[in-house]
Amino acid sequence: MDYTKQIQEIAAKLFAEDKIDAFVGYRMTGFDKNQVPAIITGADDVSKLVFNDKSVFNLSNYLKHEHTRNKRVGLVVKGCDSRSLNLLLTESQVKREKLYVVGIACDGVVDDEGKKMQNCVECMFPDAVVADEMVGNHGRSGSETLIQTGSETLIQTGSETPIYKINADVLDLGSKDLVQRREYFEEVFENCIRCNACRHSCPLCYCAKCCIDQETSTLYNGANTTSSAFHALMTWSLHLAGRCVDCRNCEKACPSHLPLHLLHKQNEQVIYENFQEHLAGVHEGDRGAFYKYSMKDPDDFIM
Amino acid sequence: METVTNQLVSIEKPEIVAPPNWEPVIMGILCNWCSYAGSDLTGTSRIQYPPNIRIIRVPCSSRVDPWFLIKSLQTTADGVLVSGCHPGDCHYISGNYYARRRFLVTKKLLNFIGYHENRIQFSWVSAAEGPKFAKVVAKVTEDIKKLGPLHLYKKENFEK
Amino acid sequence: MSVEIFVTDKAGLQKFYEAVIAKNETYAPVEKFGKYDFKRVTSLSTCNPDSPIAKTMSAKPLFFPRSAKIMKYTATSAGTDVMETDEDPLAGKRVIIGMKHCDARSLQVLDKVYNWDFIDTDYQKRRQNTIIISTRCDKAEIHCFCTSLDYDVENLDALDILIVNGKDEKIYINARTEKGGSFLKEYIAGLTSANGAADGELKQQYNAFAASFRLKMNYKEVNEKLAKIFDTPEFENVSANCVSCNTCAFVCPTCHCFKISDEKVRDTGVRYKSYDSCNNGYFTLMAGGHNPRPAKYRRWRQRAMHKFVYYKERFGENLCVGCGKCTTSCPVNISIFEVVNQVAQ
Repeated sequence: MDYTKQIQEIAAKLFAEDKIDAFVGYRMTGFDKNQVPAIITGADDVSKLVFNDKSVFNLSNYLKHEHTRNKRVGLVVKGCDSRSLNLLLTESQVKREKLYVVGIACDGVVDDEGKKMQNCVECMFPDAVVADEMVGNHGRSGSETLIQTGSETLIQTGSETPIYKINADVLDLGSKDLVQRREYFEEVFENCIRCNACRHSCPLCYCAKCCIDQETSTLYNGANTTSSAFHALMTWSLHLAGRCVDCRNCEKACPSHLPLHLLHKQNEQVIYENFQEHLAGVHEGDRGAFYKYSMKDPDDFIM
Repeated sequence: METVTNQLVSIEKPEIVAPPNWEPVIMGILCNWCSYAGSDLTGTSRIQYPPNIRIIRVPCSSRVDPWFLIKSLQTTADGVLVSGCHPGDCHYISGNYYARRRFLVTKKLLNFIGYHENRIQFSWVSAAEGPKFAKVVAKVTEDIKKLGPLHLYKKENFEK
Repeated sequence: MSVEIFVTDKAGLQKFYEAVIAKNETYAPVEKFGKYDFKRVTSLSTCNPDSPIAKTMSAKPLFFPRSAKIMKYTATSAGTDVMETDEDPLAGKRVIIGMKHCDARSLQVLDKVYNWDFIDTDYQKRRQNTIIISTRCDKAEIHCFCTSLDYDVENLDALDILIVNGKDEKIYINARTEKGGSFLKEYIAGLTSANGAADGELKQQYNAFAASFRLKMNYKEVNEKLAKIFDTPEFENVSANCVSCNTCAFVCPTCHCFKISDEKVRDTGVRYKSYDSCNNGYFTLMAGGHNPRPAKYRRWRQRAMHKFVYYKERFGENLCVGCGKCTTSCPVNISIFEVVNQVAQ
């Protein structure tokens, strides 16, 4: 997967037609094979842009930054990134008319060791679901990957029918007994250093003041203790339940390499299995599972 | 002679033994329109229910952010009971339907990270169901008594 | 500085480590989730003294904890009782093994600020009671640039005992400080003295190590140039792709900003001193809502300038040891080395 040329062409065209003020893409770091997100403000720098399977970071994160606020922005999105963009649009954080979205038909990105990332292996929506222009071809157009919702057939794409696969790690851990699960997560929370990098790198955490940063002494939970890590990660993951798009920006940012996807995938699985909801951000205008309800929702756990 | 039989241990942490005559503390978060009125009815009807529950009144069960449950479990509570109107009876038309989804996800996630599923319980109690409220509280208390004290991720300066 | 150098082999070093761990309260890098963090160890099999630098957290939390309790208090109707915390900063001696040179050096840099207008007694106690055993790297990693900074990596005296991998699987153990010398005496049994023959080999190993660096910078030039260009718009460009995630400050061995906060349950509370980061949006937020550094580039500039200008002016050292931890941890791969050089150009 190498779309460097196409993206450079598109960016040059957009700057030439004066459609955008800034273009958010990737460029090489200059010292290794990794890439740095690049916010390009003029046609001169277009040649720096690249796109290949090392373009990992979810760029819709930059839409909440001051550099892109109130500007016309061109944005490169992969499948997962487009879903988070979709949610940002739905939640009125970004204005669609100010965006020019370059969607990618993504073949999956690789991690530092060159292995395909786990979320890409499991990915159900590799094609961008929102795009002004698609790059790459998976034999179907961007709009066709949109899903038909209904109680029975949940996901339907053009030719094949991807079936929701329960994340192997979640399945593995879920089959263990209570004490083992507690021991595992105790280690997770012990190794959390409370830097909040997961939250800052998450494209969907855009609150100006986060509820886990309360400074009142009775609500305070900022010290580096297991208790506060539990509080922060649980609150964070529950506020992202039904919204997480599994882009794994959080895991990439975590300095302790914590398996944060476990929490999100667990929520995603529960939502998928019990509410017959499709995955977050796939439909435009869909606010996520917690913003709607159905009469058929399970009731048997309530006395 | 010391008797070590029938020692109550925390189900999540078997090394923690409950002190003698240990009583659980249960955080009860009740909706203003149904469950709180229901609990009121229980009292005025002179029906007895366990005193382990500490009641907090909220406008609607959908006001209950999962955050509340996390914060309760982090401090005093050994278990949480959230109660609201029956489906279809919500004072705000659909609040409890939204809440229902949130409850299930919260319950499953807390269970996933190592809390026993009975630590977090939910019920629908209407304003007319005084006896039911007493029954619910009795059942929750009994359930949590079996699980033993909760000693997970408690705040460090926390003393009961 | 003691100059006696002992020579041993791999098995001898293992035995040395095991003896140290058995006799002392020892901290070493322990792997969890693919990342090494310094933790209390009781056997050599659970830790890895040769952990890769990029995957190892700094040992700074052993001296400046991620969260330290300052005091406890209880509010009563008669007033507030303030109590000492039950936390003892450090009762006995302890040993850290597997600490890298850059990490050890960071303590010397931190000493300056901790001995400045206010003497942090807890920090001092921890420093004095700790023996640092450090292995010199054989090869620089991709983001390392410790040799480019203003300290002598070869003759670093921030560590007490130096371990160097020599030729033919020989391993040299060398006490660098008096503290280290007297500590090492207890473990001499099983080690043979190199009788001065090792000096050349140590030098050789260092030269090979120094030659393996990809990054080289002239820190003096960077210091001078950065000091003059506070208002350059270049900071806005280089910080544009930062996501303000604060990871860099939390993994940095020299960053020492903290916040003080109370955590209260009912009437009893604990006052904590925890890490904070100048990249954080509310780091400078004042009561009343004024924020002197509202924009991301200003916070970024503060970080770069503090590291290479302000600290240098005040204490004569760069607040950077060239370990590259910030770069490897950065989710968007921003390299402070590249950025500082780019701005200075």
